[in-house]
Amino acid sequence: MRPLKIAIVGCGKIADAHVEEVGKIAGAHVAAVCDRELLMAEQLAVRYGVKSHYHDFAQLLAEIRPDVVHITTPPQSHLALALQSLDAGSHVYIEKPFAMTRAESARIVEQATRVGRLVTVGHSFAFDPLTIALRQMRDDGFLGDVVHVESHLGYNLSGAFGAALMGDRSHWVHGLPGKLFHNNIDHVLHKIEDFIPEDAPRIVARATRRLPAGFGDERDDLMDELRVMLEGSTATAFATFSSHAVPVRHFARVWGTRNTVTADYVTRVLAVEQGEKYPSAIGRLLPAFAQAREYRRGGWKNVRRFMRSEFQFFSGMNELFRRFYQSINDGGTPPIAYGRILRIAGWMDDIFAQVESGLKSREGVR
Amino acid sequence: MKRLVTGAGGFLGRALVEKLLARPGADLRCLVRSEVQADRLRALALAYPAAQLEVVTGNLLARDDVARAVDGVDVVYHLAASLKGSPADIFLNTVVASNRLLDALAGPPRTIVMVSSLGVYGTAALGHNAVLDEATPLEPHPERRDVYSHAKWRQEKLFRDRCAHDGHRLVILRPGVIYGPGGAPISARVGLNLFGVFLHLGGNNVIPLTHVENCADAIVAASEHPDAVGQAFNVIDDDLPTSRRYLSRYRRDVAPLRTLWIPYGAMQALSRTVEWYHRYSRGQLPAVFTRYKTATLWKGTRFDNGKLKRIGWSPRISTRDGLRASFAWLREAKSA
Repeated sequence: MRPLKIAIVGCGKIADAHVEEVGKIAGAHVAAVCDRELLMAEQLAVRYGVKSHYHDFAQLLAEIRPDVVHITTPPQSHLALALQSLDAGSHVYIEKPFAMTRAESARIVEQATRVGRLVTVGHSFAFDPLTIALRQMRDDGFLGDVVHVESHLGYNLSGAFGAALMGDRSHWVHGLPGKLFHNNIDHVLHKIEDFIPEDAPRIVARATRRLPAGFGDERDDLMDELRVMLEGSTATAFATFSSHAVPVRHFARVWGTRNTVTADYVTRVLAVEQGEKYPSAIGRLLPAFAQAREYRRGGWKNVRRFMRSEFQFFSGMNELFRRFYQSINDGGTPPIAYGRILRIAGWMDDIFAQVESGLKSREGVR
Repeated sequence: MKRLVTGAGGFLGRALVEKLLARPGADLRCLVRSEVQADRLRALALAYPAAQLEVVTGNLLARDDVARAVDGVDVVYHLAASLKGSPADIFLNTVVASNRLLDALAGPPRTIVMVSSLGVYGTAALGHNAVLDEATPLEPHPERRDVYSHAKWRQEKLFRDRCAHDGHRLVILRPGVIYGPGGAPISARVGLNLFGVFLHLGGNNVIPLTHVENCADAIVAASEHPDAVGQAFNVIDDDLPTSRRYLSRYRRDVAPLRTLWIPYGAMQALSRTVEWYHRYSRGQLPAVFTRYKTATLWKGTRFDNGKLKRIGWSPRISTRDGLRASFAWLREAKSA
């Protein structure tokens, strides 16, 4: 692979993963990092031995001339930084969410097409080994026709990120149209889009808040439970996001006319759902053991991957980086089609608008 | 004289606030993150009706909040720091937050008392049983330490550089392990829990404890002594226990614990293996232990508190009494 110079703008939590995963790819290296807080850029550079750090992004682009810019800033700045990077001749990887709205997303895609550079979005779970295997099952006809998809993401509001945003009323998450959901539901929706690739499925979205209010500021507006139903022409889907259900789960379940499969991103197992194959009580006894066998097999598969050092937390992100860099070097198409990026951005606009109007109507009722 | 305490809602912060409220003519402003913390401080102040207390709820990262907090203050006690979270969060809430505070303090010189950490010293380079005092060189490789120590090192450097530039009178306190009723149960210097077994790593190392009340006394003493300006002071109590002694008392007085002692030599070998595997597996498991961190924490360093005593501080609460009260509180907390 032709050596690629990578620059990272935005030195928050996820930037650590970017530096580490780029470091695992032969022929790519992080040449510089940037953050409008110079101290944040400095800490990332010092901890990972990155040679240059900046707080002025224009200066970085002029001096480093990166082949690829990874944008890991809050979404409010994605559009401006992406356009600036593209105009400077860099390809652009943008952490999810791609932009604030579909309109902003379209502007980035149009600009990339116009200047002949590639962009992609951090839908890292789309390149996770489990998701790749699930798509392969679809392509092989193992699932039959997909009838329904259920995609769920649990979230721990008491975790490091949750605590940071609930402890700071000026945290950038509070300024997003979809707030907490906006920063997370890409991971829920792209798994559905694999099976319902339609621009305008019928969407019904509803959000609630279980966390008690009482901050007296923006934090009281944060919804923490989201339910979405999508109705496509041939299949339906449920997207759920929960900040309170215990344990925190993350899975996609795909119901097909031939088989139903669950990709469990917590246990890291892809399990084929087992039904009754035999009559009577015996028939009802056996499926539990067959289901257990699915998980046991999956567990041992993970052990073998661990022994080969392939059981990496950010394996999906790493695979996405590799494919993106490969497409840059080959002059090919990026790993995530632009139509797909825009479709998901459009769904998100619709969901957040419904959440907003649902809240307003409920306030009106009160 | 108006005094500001940042991080006033924390373990040490509350103890310091109480000390300052008890002083004649107390005029105190406290910056806390939440209304819960604010209410707790207001309740504390009820016992000191002559004292002036103003509580500002806000975040050091928000310039407006910081501007409100520093307005008209003469002395700043900066205790706010982040102990947990991602590395970026720890840096943001410790170093960047400090930078915001220093930005807001631009103008007339003030007295700034900054609470740092013993973690800023280059302990790994010391020999076995070397004595750590304020003349010990600072950490030459902070990035090889845990993120908290790295952030405190950078925070201290920021304060030294900016106070020298802006003319503030800076006093630095470097506490060891702050303990007391309401505090954390066991320091990482003693060991850590791994899959239900407590790995005892401290062995015969001395644990540099300071009781929260003694530490608060030290902060007040250093802030008021004219010779303290421009100086740094280690804050460590007398009669410090070894890790082994601490753990045995914990097991006797608080709760039984399945422990496995790992001697220093074995810990170095384990750290080497962990480092090797981390590299070999391309980060599949984190390098929780490294030889550098191990040398920093468990090489047998001893600690000196003579400099702080020379400005008039002495630990009011003995380590024996402090541990007894602390363990009693932990025992009750566990049974509650």
